[in-house]
Amino acid sequence: MQLPVLNDAPAAKGGCSASSCGTTDNQMDSLPDSIREKVQNHPCYSEDAHHYFARMHVAVAPACNIQCHYCNRKYDCANESRPGVVSELLTPDQAVKKTMAVAANIPQMTVLGIAGPGDPLANPERTFETFRRLSEEAPDIKLCVSTNGLALPDAVEELSKHNIDHVTITINTVDPEIGAKIYPWIFWKNRRIKGVKGAKILIEQQQKGLEMLIAKGILVKVNSVMIPGVNDQHLAEVSKVVKAKGAFLHNVMPLIAEAEHGTFYGVMGQRGPTPDELQDLQDSCSGDMNMMRHCRQCRADAVGMLGEDRGDEFTLDKIEDMEIDYQAAMEKRKVIHQAIQEEMDSKRLEKATKAAQHKAEPKLTTRPVLMAVATSGQGVINVHFGHAKEFLIYEASPDGVRFISHRKADQYCGGDSTCGDGESTLQVTIRALAGCEAVLCSKVGYEPWEMLETAGIMPNGEHAMEPIEEAVMAVYKEMAAAGKLDEKPEAVRASA
Amino acid sequence: MAVKIVESCVNCFACEPVCPSNAIYEAKPHFLVDSKKCTECEGAFADYQCASICPIEGAILNALGEQINPPGSLTGIPPERMAEAMAELQSH
Repeated sequence: MQLPVLNDAPAAKGGCSASSCGTTDNQMDSLPDSIREKVQNHPCYSEDAHHYFARMHVAVAPACNIQCHYCNRKYDCANESRPGVVSELLTPDQAVKKTMAVAANIPQMTVLGIAGPGDPLANPERTFETFRRLSEEAPDIKLCVSTNGLALPDAVEELSKHNIDHVTITINTVDPEIGAKIYPWIFWKNRRIKGVKGAKILIEQQQKGLEMLIAKGILVKVNSVMIPGVNDQHLAEVSKVVKAKGAFLHNVMPLIAEAEHGTFYGVMGQRGPTPDELQDLQDSCSGDMNMMRHCRQCRADAVGMLGEDRGDEFTLDKIEDMEIDYQAAMEKRKVIHQAIQEEMDSKRLEKATKAAQHKAEPKLTTRPVLMAVATSGQGVINVHFGHAKEFLIYEASPDGVRFISHRKADQYCGGDSTCGDGESTLQVTIRALAGCEAVLCSKVGYEPWEMLETAGIMPNGEHAMEPIEEAVMAVYKEMAAAGKLDEKPEAVRASA
Repeated sequence: MAVKIVESCVNCFACEPVCPSNAIYEAKPHFLVDSKKCTECEGAFADYQCASICPIEGAILNALGEQINPPGSLTGIPPERMAEAMAELQSH
């Protein structure tokens, strides 16, 4: 079975096509109803859903069967947010308890994933015990799993039994020579196999697993880590290959590599991509493939909305004291999910109406502009500039508004030459917004206002509580009317 | 004769299921090898199974007390490069 993907599909039934939406590249719009149904409340599979629904990971899977050069297995840090890092390893029993506690307390949590800290399928007993119990005891939670793919072919049958209809495979390459630069070894048939030989086996298993999942009707997302100079030129090819095999979504993520992580890439000075490089690659793949751009590369024990982590509220000692009546919780969750769904539907309709109006107006011929938005969910601008932990980046152009990426406001210093000592959090945040010409938030204080203006980023607090796309388009039109879009701004792309 | 797991073990569970002699068990602060049960995989496998999946260099010693996976052998990071990077971080 081959699933239609963006730009290939006929205009989706019941949805609005990209051009009529006023938003371009809308991730959901071209999907057939059957897939839309499956992902509409899954924050990691639908850009739309991630404004409303939360997810959690339970760290039940410590063992791994391969080594990746971006990973250090000495995982244990409460302050870092990246894949493979966890604070507490859970038994399946503890994981079930934690999941139910979170589901009862964060009713918009719809998805439970197992993502590590090792490879879930290298820990089949712990992983499947958790899935089996949750599918029986908490049937209203979607289950999903992510894997490096080495053990995937052997697990497909078992996965399909547990009603897991979302699987993420990390595929960084389809070329063993490139693979040898990413994976130093795999453990396969009782041996540690290094270099090209190991990478070749891994790639074969990933591709075979992908085909088997598609044959079972299981939705597959492919994650790829973009590593400049290693696989960056190759990922468009990966995108084509996995699309042809039926993966429905491709998530290209930037390499995270700092010396203090102790990873091969971190210590050896391999750099990650710049936001521009990442966006260019995502754009070049998007002609062929439905791209995910809202991934937060979260921890293997993350809890909450994608941009947040509420894991602290659900540590083992805290959930020990929680009495959960799951039947009651399920009733409550159902009502809340329904309300959210209605809100999403009405917003989608509103968006389509606005877009139709936009289309009827004379088309602008102005250049595209990047804008940053402060939001904590619900698809509206609702966060004070100073409180924003991250910003969503949108591009406004005569074709409409499209989501590009997110940027962290509190990025820690990478120690490079552009980051001088004593740089304030505010300066770091403003630097993170490089390339944006406006920032939309519910409020902006006096000090940041001046600094933003100096940095060439127009602060805007006039659209508080308004839907993001509408507000971005309104600001874009104001900029156009004011003649600000007639010329290129200074070095936008170069500095972004 | 038996292998030994030492304190750099990160408790990832990977070795426990691959041991052909069920000699590895979970313990605090880290996994341990029952030296009476360990056969060093003799007669079963060409390589030590625990040390073939272990991701941590130096965490498993052979019967002579030598590291089966010495520094740099698994991550590919040359030990002197690692030392430099760590010294650099310490100085900040």
